[in-house]
Amino acid sequence: MTEITCPLCGKPNPPDRDVCQFCEAPLKTSGFIASPDDQDIFTQIPTPSSQPDESTEPGDQPESTSSLEQAIPDWLKQTEASFLQPSEPESEEPAPDHISEEIDSLLNLVPTPSDEQKPAIDDEWLASLLAEAGVGELAQETLAAEPLQEAMEAEETGEPGLTSEELSEEEGLLPPAELEKPEWLSDMEASSTIKLEGGMQPSESLHIEAPAEEKAEKKGAEQVEVPEWVGKTSFGEKPPTPKEPETPIVPAEIPGWLEALRPSREEKVSPSKPVEDISAADIVTAGPLVGLRGVISAHPSAIQARKPPTYSIKLRVTEEQHARVQMMEELLAEEQKPKPLPSKPILTYRHIIRLVVAVLLILPIVWMVVSRSQQGPSPQPSNVPGVVEFAQQVQALPAGAPVLIAFDYEPGFSGEMNPAISTVLTQLASKNAYLSLVTTTPSGPALAESLMKNVSAGALAASSAYSNYTDLGFIPGGTMGLLGLAASPRTVLPYSLDGKDVWASEPLNTISSIADFSAVIVITNDPDTARVWIEQVGPHLQTQDRPLLFITSTQAEPLIRPYYQAAPSQVQGMVAGLAGGLAYGGTVGSPGQNGLWEALSISITVSILIILIGSIVSVVFLTLASNKKKEDEERP
Amino acid sequence: MIEQLNQLAEPIGAIVGFVLTLMVLSYIIGDNVLFRLAISIFIGVASGYAAILILYNVIWNQVLVPVYQIFTTGKAGDLLSYVIRVIPAVILGVWMMTKLSPRLARWGTPVLAFLTGVGAATVIAGAVRGTIFPQVQASINILNTQTAPPELSKLVGWFINGLIVLVGTITTLIYFQFGMKRQEEGVPAQRPVVLDYLSTAGQGFIVVTLGVLFAGVYIATLSALIDRVRFLWDVIARFF
Repeated sequence: MTEITCPLCGKPNPPDRDVCQFCEAPLKTSGFIASPDDQDIFTQIPTPSSQPDESTEPGDQPESTSSLEQAIPDWLKQTEASFLQPSEPESEEPAPDHISEEIDSLLNLVPTPSDEQKPAIDDEWLASLLAEAGVGELAQETLAAEPLQEAMEAEETGEPGLTSEELSEEEGLLPPAELEKPEWLSDMEASSTIKLEGGMQPSESLHIEAPAEEKAEKKGAEQVEVPEWVGKTSFGEKPPTPKEPETPIVPAEIPGWLEALRPSREEKVSPSKPVEDISAADIVTAGPLVGLRGVISAHPSAIQARKPPTYSIKLRVTEEQHARVQMMEELLAEEQKPKPLPSKPILTYRHIIRLVVAVLLILPIVWMVVSRSQQGPSPQPSNVPGVVEFAQQVQALPAGAPVLIAFDYEPGFSGEMNPAISTVLTQLASKNAYLSLVTTTPSGPALAESLMKNVSAGALAASSAYSNYTDLGFIPGGTMGLLGLAASPRTVLPYSLDGKDVWASEPLNTISSIADFSAVIVITNDPDTARVWIEQVGPHLQTQDRPLLFITSTQAEPLIRPYYQAAPSQVQGMVAGLAGGLAYGGTVGSPGQNGLWEALSISITVSILIILIGSIVSVVFLTLASNKKKEDEERP
Repeated sequence: MIEQLNQLAEPIGAIVGFVLTLMVLSYIIGDNVLFRLAISIFIGVASGYAAILILYNVIWNQVLVPVYQIFTTGKAGDLLSYVIRVIPAVILGVWMMTKLSPRLARWGTPVLAFLTGVGAATVIAGAVRGTIFPQVQASINILNTQTAPPELSKLVGWFINGLIVLVGTITTLIYFQFGMKRQEEGVPAQRPVVLDYLSTAGQGFIVVTLGVLFAGVYIATLSALIDRVRFLWDVIARFF
C-alpha cells in the first residue's frame, strides 16, 4: 500500500501521513479505513472467505482441531457436512474487491468456535434421548437452545460470547421446517413475482455459512451411516408443506377489526416493497462512505458545482405561425389607432346665427355710443320707483353727516351701476358728507377707491382730491359680520385700511352703533346681499329712523322692490340700473347720458325683435316638420 | 418717479383693459384660446387680490395692529377688550385649521358646529324679523283703505295693484300646496278643481316673475355690453 486515500476528499496521501494533506482529515484513525495493523488483526480472524477451499475439499481439516471436536462421531460430522453442502453455490459469486472483503469481514464476524465446550455425544446417548422425547423435537430444541445457552454463559463469565447477529446465525442453522410459516405467507410467496437473484429458496434465505471447522466435521460425518429418522430430518430436505400433518395449534382470539385487516386465504397479497438487490451496485471508493455498496457517494466530485447548461429561450415558430402573429399585430394596431374625428367646419349654422345676433346688437350700440345721441328723452325720476325718495333722503342729510356706504357689487356691473354711484357720491361730496366705506366682497375696496378717485377728479372738478372719507375695508363673517357691524361698527372694523384708528377722531368718535350714521347706502347687484342688509341692519336703523338706501342692478330690483313698497317701507330709497342712475342724475342736474340710454333702448328693441323673429321662425319650422311627419305617417 | 409711474398707470391700464375686453368679446366666434386666457387671468387676479385683502384687512389690521397699538399706548382697558374680543376668535380660527388635515379634521368639528349653529341662528332670526313679519304685514295692509290715495285716478291704480298683489300672493302660495285629502284605496288622489285652477294661476304668476328676473338680468348684461363698447370707443378715441 503505497498511498492512503483520504476518506473525506478522496485524494491520495503518502502512507506516512496521519492526516490528509488536502483537507486535514485524519487518515489512520478514521472509522472506515483501518490501519495496516488493524487490517492484520482483521485478517487473523477466521472468516469463511479467509479459509479458501474448505468447502470444496471437506477432507482437508485443520490440524488444530480440539479434542472435543475429535470426539464427535464421524456420522454426525458427515451430517453437518451434508447440511452445509447447499451453501456452496454462494462461493461461486464473484469475489469482491479488497475493500469489500474488509467490510464483509467486519460485518460477518465469525464466532470463536465453541466446539471444545460441547460435551461428547455418542450414539447411545442420543438414541436414548431421542427415544424418550420423540422423533425430531428434541434434536431440534437442543440445536436451537445450545447457542442461546452458550451466549448466556458467556455473558455471565465475561468472555466474548456470541452477539445477536451470531445468535441469528445460529438460528439460521435451524431446519426450515421448524420455522412456523403461516399458510397465507406461503401463498403470498408462491404468488409473488419478485424473486431474489439466483432463485433463492426458502431454505436458502435462512442459511448462513457455518465455520470451517463445522463444515469439516459435517463432511466427515457424511461417511458415517445415519439412522433412518435422521436422514428424514436432514437439513437438506425441503421444508414441510403446510398440508403436512402438524401438531394442531390453538388459534388465538383475534379481534374482529384485526381479522378484517388480515389478508384472506384467497387474496393474493404482494409485498409493498420489492427487495432491492444491491449486489450489482457500485462500491464507494472515496469519501466517508468508502467501501459501502449501493449508497450515494459523498465524494466532492459527485457534488461539484457545475455551470448549468444553457438553453435557448428563443421561441421557435414556423413561418405560418409568424405570418399569423404579424396579421394579429396589424389588426391590433389598427384598433389602437384613434380614429380622427370629422373636422369641424369653420362656419356652422350656429356660428352664423351667433355672429348675426352679435352684429345686430353691437352695431346699434356702437352707432349710439359713437354718435353720443341724445335724441330720445332720458328716464324721468318720477317714472322710476325709488329714485325720488332716494334723492330726498340724500338731500335731507346734514352737511358733514357720517354716511356709511357699502360697496358690495361685482366689477362686471360697474357699467350699469357706475352712473348712479357717481352721481350719488358727487351729491354727497357736495354736501361734504363723511363717507365710511365698507364692503362684504373682496373686490369692494378696489371699486370704492377707484370711484372715489373718479369723483374727486372728474365729477367734482376740484383742485384737490376729496378726502372726507375713510375706507374701513372688508367685513368678515358674512351675515354674522353684518350683524356685528350693526351692533358695534368699531368692534368689527377697528381700523381703516391704512391702519388708522378712525373711531377716535371726528365724526366717527360719536358712532357706537350703525344707527348713529345719518344714512346707510348699500350698493349691490346681488338680491341676496341686499336681503341680508335689510334683515340684519334694517331693524337697527328703523329704531332710530335712519334711512336704508339701495343702489342696485336691474336684475336685483324686482326682489328689493317689495321691501321698498312695503308699508312701513324697509327700504327708504332705491336707484336701480342704468335707467335709475340716469333718472337720479336728472334730479341733481348731472350732465347728459352720452348716448347710453339710446344704446340701451335700441339694444332692448333689437333684442325683442330677435326674440320675436326667432320664435316665429322656430314655430314655422316646427309646424312644417310636424305636418311632414304626419304626412309620412299617413302614407301607407 | 412715482408721479411718472402714476401717470403711466392709467394709459397702461386702459390698454390692458382694451386687450382683455377684446379677448372676452372673442367668445362671439366661439370658445377660443384668447377667451380662456382672459378668464384665467381674471380668476387669478381676483383670487390673489382677495387673499391679500383678507390677510391685510383681517389678520393684520384686526389682529396684529391692535396688539401694537396696545403696547405703544399702554392702555390696560384696550388690552382687556382685545383679549375678550380677539383672542377667542384667534383660538377658534386656529382650531378650525385642523380641518386642513384629514387626520385632525374631526378635531375641528366643534368649531365648525359652533359657526354653523351661530350662523343659522343669525340667518333665521334676521329672516323672521326682517322679511317674514314685515312682508306679511305689508301684504295685509296692501288693500288697507286707510292707505289709499285720495285721488280717484290713483285709487284705481292702487286698487288694481293691490288686487294683483293679493291674487298673485294667494295663488302662488296655493301652487306650492301639495297636500290633499286621503282617498279610498284605488281612487287616485286629486286636488279639488278650484285649487287646481288657482294653482295654475299661481304658476302663471311664477312664470311672469321669473321672466321679469330674466329680463332684469338681460338688461344688466346689455348695460355691461354698452359700457364695454363705450370703453373701447373711448380708448380708440384717446390713442388714435
